[in-house]
Amino acid sequence: MTFDDTLAEQIRMCAACPKMCRHVCPTFFAWRSDSPTPHGRALLLHQEIVGTRDLDERGIEVLFQCLECSHCLTFCKPEIDIATIVEQRRKDIVTEGRRPTGLDDMAESIKKHHNPYSESHESRNDWIGTKKSDGKHLLYFTGCTAAYREKVIATDTVEVLETLGYLVSVSPDEWCCGSPLFRTGDVKLGLELASHNVEMLNASEADEIVVTCPGCYRVLTKDYPDYDLQLNKPIKHISQTLEEQVSKLPMKDFEGSITYHDSCHLGRHCGIYDEPRKVIEKVSGTSLVEMERTRDNAMCCGNGAGLRTLFPEKAKKIGSERVKQAKTVGADILVTSCPFCKNMLESQSGEDLTVLDLPEIVLMAKRGRKANID
Amino acid sequence: MKLLVDPKTKKKLYDSMVSIVGKEHVTQLETDRVLNAHDAWQLNAAKLRAGEMMPLADMIVFPASGEEIAKILVVANDLKVPVIPVGGGAGTCGGTLAIYGGIQLDMKRMSKIHPIDHESMTVRVEAGVVGIDLEEEVNRHGYTLGHTPTSLRSSNMGGFIATRSGGSLSSLYGKIEDLTLGLQVILPNGSTVDCKAVPRHSVGPDLQQLFIGSEGVLGIITEATLRLFLIPEERRFRSYSFPDIHSGLEAIRHIFRIGIEPSVARLYDPEDAAMAFSMHFKFEEGHCMLLLGFDGDSAQNDIDENKSMKICTEQGGTDHGEGPAKRWWEHRYDMYYPSRLTTSGFAIGDTIDIVATYDKLENIYHAMKEAMEAHDAIVMSHFSHMYHNGGSIYMIFFSSRATAEEAWETYTKIWDDGVAVCLREGGTMSHQHGVGFSRSTYIEDELGSAFSVLKQIKEVLDPNGIMNPGKLGLGVRK
Repeated sequence: MTFDDTLAEQIRMCAACPKMCRHVCPTFFAWRSDSPTPHGRALLLHQEIVGTRDLDERGIEVLFQCLECSHCLTFCKPEIDIATIVEQRRKDIVTEGRRPTGLDDMAESIKKHHNPYSESHESRNDWIGTKKSDGKHLLYFTGCTAAYREKVIATDTVEVLETLGYLVSVSPDEWCCGSPLFRTGDVKLGLELASHNVEMLNASEADEIVVTCPGCYRVLTKDYPDYDLQLNKPIKHISQTLEEQVSKLPMKDFEGSITYHDSCHLGRHCGIYDEPRKVIEKVSGTSLVEMERTRDNAMCCGNGAGLRTLFPEKAKKIGSERVKQAKTVGADILVTSCPFCKNMLESQSGEDLTVLDLPEIVLMAKRGRKANID
Repeated sequence: MKLLVDPKTKKKLYDSMVSIVGKEHVTQLETDRVLNAHDAWQLNAAKLRAGEMMPLADMIVFPASGEEIAKILVVANDLKVPVIPVGGGAGTCGGTLAIYGGIQLDMKRMSKIHPIDHESMTVRVEAGVVGIDLEEEVNRHGYTLGHTPTSLRSSNMGGFIATRSGGSLSSLYGKIEDLTLGLQVILPNGSTVDCKAVPRHSVGPDLQQLFIGSEGVLGIITEATLRLFLIPEERRFRSYSFPDIHSGLEAIRHIFRIGIEPSVARLYDPEDAAMAFSMHFKFEEGHCMLLLGFDGDSAQNDIDENKSMKICTEQGGTDHGEGPAKRWWEHRYDMYYPSRLTTSGFAIGDTIDIVATYDKLENIYHAMKEAMEAHDAIVMSHFSHMYHNGGSIYMIFFSSRATAEEAWETYTKIWDDGVAVCLREGGTMSHQHGVGFSRSTYIEDELGSAFSVLKQIKEVLDPNGIMNPGKLGLGVRK
């Protein structure tokens, strides 16, 4: 385990903090214990660095109880990114062969099927129909969750983009982007996927790559370059692509209050806050009702960085709280721009809150207008 | 290593705890015990940084109700095992250290906020509610608790009450002992004490006040009913510099004397003023800075502010507008974060939050500063939490030594000498932080003959001495 002096200093400071960010830590919320907290994780690492105490099995578990949502960073005056520090330590834990066994199945599935859901690779996106067009060519990198668990997001994305005049294609050679692996420290396998995807994407004749999953977006725009894997065309999140075409988007009265959930990968990690909001406000013709915790202060949905795989009930507890926050501000519709967030939030939403992903609400607006015209 | 709770007893204890709260809510794992071992006592933090271990509890138990706590205490009492209540873990005096092992009773699962009583302007809450969560909840309904300690994000209601906590607006809203109308406590024998929520009463001594500040040595605080205030129409700020402590203190004293109740009244000595404000505001070197805040409607604030400004001017103050006071309010949590400097090497600092009446405050300040500086420490102070009859001084010190041994020794000497001088000059050693473990050796000197009363109460309520032994100077074991 190695941390350079700068990181060791940051870990020391975090370990000395009287828990100024703990109140927003979703895993503190879920466990109500001082162990799965930013301070707790930092103290374990500090004790390891100064030789007080090695990480034991429970210590490793505590490090894997982090969602890496970086909400703590929003409240950290010294700007210590403990999520990134935790992720760095996870890499060594994986190398040491000490990863929680609950993650082994996920990694094995990705290795074998190129997706974490143990679904056949052949069925990844062969069901997605696309049309010919003279428009700008977008390669839609569907991501595993839209491809296997939230298929309507994938089909709606294609339809919306084609309506806007784009030529949309998907690739049967798309593999998992590697996000679940990078976030849980399995860099070796993550890079195998990354190398494959970079080769496939760079060989494509598309003008741009578009993604609906913020996890994919972060990996493609940040992790790949960090490992010197360069993509030769622009990568855009669907919210960016739609925002560029905002004047052409349809509008519909959704007859209800709409709020927006910021995905951690898209918001805090990639700084994209305004684009999805502009799209939603355009297609709904109304102003969003913001939750109390929003933008860089948004609560995580509970689904990230392996937490749902390892601790599903705690992940759901966090998702349920986020749903409650949406209901507290009177929202009828909760829009997110992340298939993974949508999957979690919809599972906790009940009957009085509709959860939609961004392409879905855009397509609903389009269909609504058509219905009115017809 | 000496076993404080023998293996056989520990096994019995663990099995009992599991049967009461469920296996998921009991942990004996070392990592959990390490991460729960400390609070925010500066000596703890410095020792942890230096690689030292804190004493560990034998297990941590997370109860969900008063009923569970009653059962836990009955078992612990029967087995004569220490029980240390843990709130947010944000205390500054080592009050949650498991110095004799035993059970750390972590209250964080008990975080229910009952519906607000709008008619009476009260709210009933469980002890494990984190301060900021409660404040945000009552804010949603147009209220404030008026309780804003710097630890608001990390401390909880039970801890506030157990340590007689005070917030930065206590001049107007009061401390937690003023804000608590009703209280529920579970005694070591498992019985429940309910102190009814009433605004005032005339039914013997106020037993509720016996438990407020009891730091877990008499029982476990499980829930409280708290007062609420309407969120003020405006919070207005004003700042004045003064050539010396005396004139600044006189201004504060005269403001309170004529019945004005500012929400904020903080006087920074020259060193603290330079540290806190000179980066952003221009004022004469060596001057003090007074921050005032007024909560209320605009018309009332006009009156209070104008009268206060007149007094400040009469006492030789220079007006600096709202700037310094407003900036302090907006950045009031910043000083609580660690920095590279304060966590480097064997650096250590702390605050002695003494309190006294106006006739003694200035003497205490000068005498403590001299005594503490004699140990080559940087000492800076502000007078805050001011009231009609006196107020508190935050005597803040910082020192750094070449070795851990020297650093911890210096730290202790500064505390010993600082508190001794405070008591000699007629002050009381804590306004809001409590006693815990760090000040337990001074409590006999502080309370004098009253300490024996406290001891006798302890012996009656906790004859086996299981409740947070070693804290408040009670239940110290060999």
